[in-house]
Amino acid sequence: MMTSPPPSAAPLMIEARAVHKWYPNGFHALRGCDLRVARGEVVVIMGPSGSGKSTFLRTFNALEDFQQGSIVIDGIPLCDDLRQIDAIRREVGMVFQQFNLFPHLTVLQNLTLAPVLVRRRPRDEVEAQARRLLERVGIAEQADKFPGQLSGGQQQRVAIARSLCMEPRILLFDEPTSALDPEMVREVLDVMQTLARDGMTMVVVTHEVGFARQVAHRVVLMADGEVVEEAPPQQFFTAPAQDRSRRFLEQIL
Amino acid sequence: MAGLLRRLRRDYFANPLDAALSITLGLLLTAALLAGLRWALSQAQWAVIQVNATLFAVGRYPLEQQWRLWLVTALLAAASGSSWGLLRALPRRDRRREAQLWPGNDRIAVAGFAALALVLPALLGLSLPLQLRWWLISALLLAARWVCGRWGQGRRGRQALRLLPLAWPCLYLFGLGLIAGGLGLIAVPPNEWGGLLLTLVQASLAILLCFPLGVLLALGRRSTLPLLRWSSVLYIEFIRGAPLITLLFLGQNILGFLLPGGVAPERVWRAALVLTLFAAAYLAEAVRAGLAAVPRGQLEAARSLGLSTAQALARVVLPQAIRTAVPAMVGQFISLLQDTTLLSLIGLLELLGSARTVMANPAFLGRNAEVYLTLAVLFWCCCAALGLGSRALERRLNPNTTA
Repeated sequence: MMTSPPPSAAPLMIEARAVHKWYPNGFHALRGCDLRVARGEVVVIMGPSGSGKSTFLRTFNALEDFQQGSIVIDGIPLCDDLRQIDAIRREVGMVFQQFNLFPHLTVLQNLTLAPVLVRRRPRDEVEAQARRLLERVGIAEQADKFPGQLSGGQQQRVAIARSLCMEPRILLFDEPTSALDPEMVREVLDVMQTLARDGMTMVVVTHEVGFARQVAHRVVLMADGEVVEEAPPQQFFTAPAQDRSRRFLEQIL
Repeated sequence: MAGLLRRLRRDYFANPLDAALSITLGLLLTAALLAGLRWALSQAQWAVIQVNATLFAVGRYPLEQQWRLWLVTALLAAASGSSWGLLRALPRRDRRREAQLWPGNDRIAVAGFAALALVLPALLGLSLPLQLRWWLISALLLAARWVCGRWGQGRRGRQALRLLPLAWPCLYLFGLGLIAGGLGLIAVPPNEWGGLLLTLVQASLAILLCFPLGVLLALGRRSTLPLLRWSSVLYIEFIRGAPLITLLFLGQNILGFLLPGGVAPERVWRAALVLTLFAAAYLAEAVRAGLAAVPRGQLEAARSLGLSTAQALARVVLPQAIRTAVPAMVGQFISLLQDTTLLSLIGLLELLGSARTVMANPAFLGRNAEVYLTLAVLFWCCCAALGLGSRALERRLNPNTTA
């Protein structure tokens, strides 16, 4: 079940050019990373731990800053202007490894908080939409529970629904299945696959080779803060161009 | 019967050491209880309490104005009863199915409360009209609890519940106004307030005001702005390094010098101000511990959803931090309530202060034990109420315990 290819003339949603990041302790975490993601495209970023892939992903919604280079999200350049950052964060959803649901709010309140507070939409309308989204990720009956009462897989699906409730144009996934018990990985990946098929622009940091093969349009390999290789999954997993990619694949396959 | 015997054996007489301990402790406890009872019933002379009951309760508050205090008490009882009823009628969203109008522990609480309300006024030897008033007020509380529990289920109750956080501050201000007078009522200056009334006014004012100040200080201490951070640290560490009594004396003396004549607030308000500033520093540390317990990812998730820093703090981080800090904060409030006794040393006639004036009276010479014991019981009642309230709050706020 392959995702249909994005239209070739689709506008760019993410355009990162030569992004450099140094941590305050002097560590050079990103060394001139480039990435272009078109609307409707699904890009999977892989790489060994410490390669900077999560850091790179987190620069796209300004959870991490960078010192050199430029990032343009849906036509808005990322800079220090706080209003621009808020505008970008409204359009870019993020799903975390540790779910980061709000434990003091019910599932439904987790979904409605931001749309009501940030987008100032009427509560009734948002609640109706939230219930539809919960149905879409298959946990409509848990709406009034608290996150602590759900399984890991259910929590991560709530987190995806929470991002979707803001109607983002881009979704970022930071190792969404790494904290899950093995039997719960499938249910989360299924939801992500459905999203991809519906045309959501997605950048996914993951170790799930199956997901990358089936869903991604492109696979990006990062190592030591650099983008090493960028290729369609078929080519990447069967005939990688770079030595570094081959060594990485030998370790995970 | 056999089960009872078996349990007795298991819990108290499982082996010779247990048996010896049980018997020794049992004998000691019985002896202490008997001695206490003998003292309370035959040796103690409770007239000192009965004669001075009004002084202990309200100090020198003018007699003909005391109906205002009764009115405040009745309003508080009605408000407590209705809040209790509403909270029971509308339990937390995830528990709605298990909702019960009268859960088991509530029945015990009501029975205990009713027994206390019936017995306590008589035990204190209050006059019959006063006893009648206490019974009426207790009945009002229970009636409000019952009516709101019935009426509050469903939509109306939910609307009323949303009004509660607004209703209580209004009631508090109204009560304070009623006590102080003015606006057509005869003004009763604070230096005529005393006894339990003054203790409760001081403690509640300090508790209410130190809370926002403490939260701000805690946020300031974690701020990224160096000036804000260092001034918060300086303030907190200075206050925590000084004994309350010195600060109280300092407040009485310095505020008079600093502010131009006539502007300096009355001694009672100055003391309340010092108590507030003192408690805020300790509260800030409790809240800071709560803030440190909220994972970083919570703020990141809130920010990535587009919430501003202020929104993320108010809606995501602080609610969790304060929930964690509730036990420590209530501990602070309880010691704050007990710290109000220090006000007697700067000449305010709160509960301990008025007790000392009574004991200085030659007519009640040597009645110290009765007076101090009564004081201890009164303080214990107030602190127990705070503790019970905090435990109920924790249970309601903590979604991760499945009761």
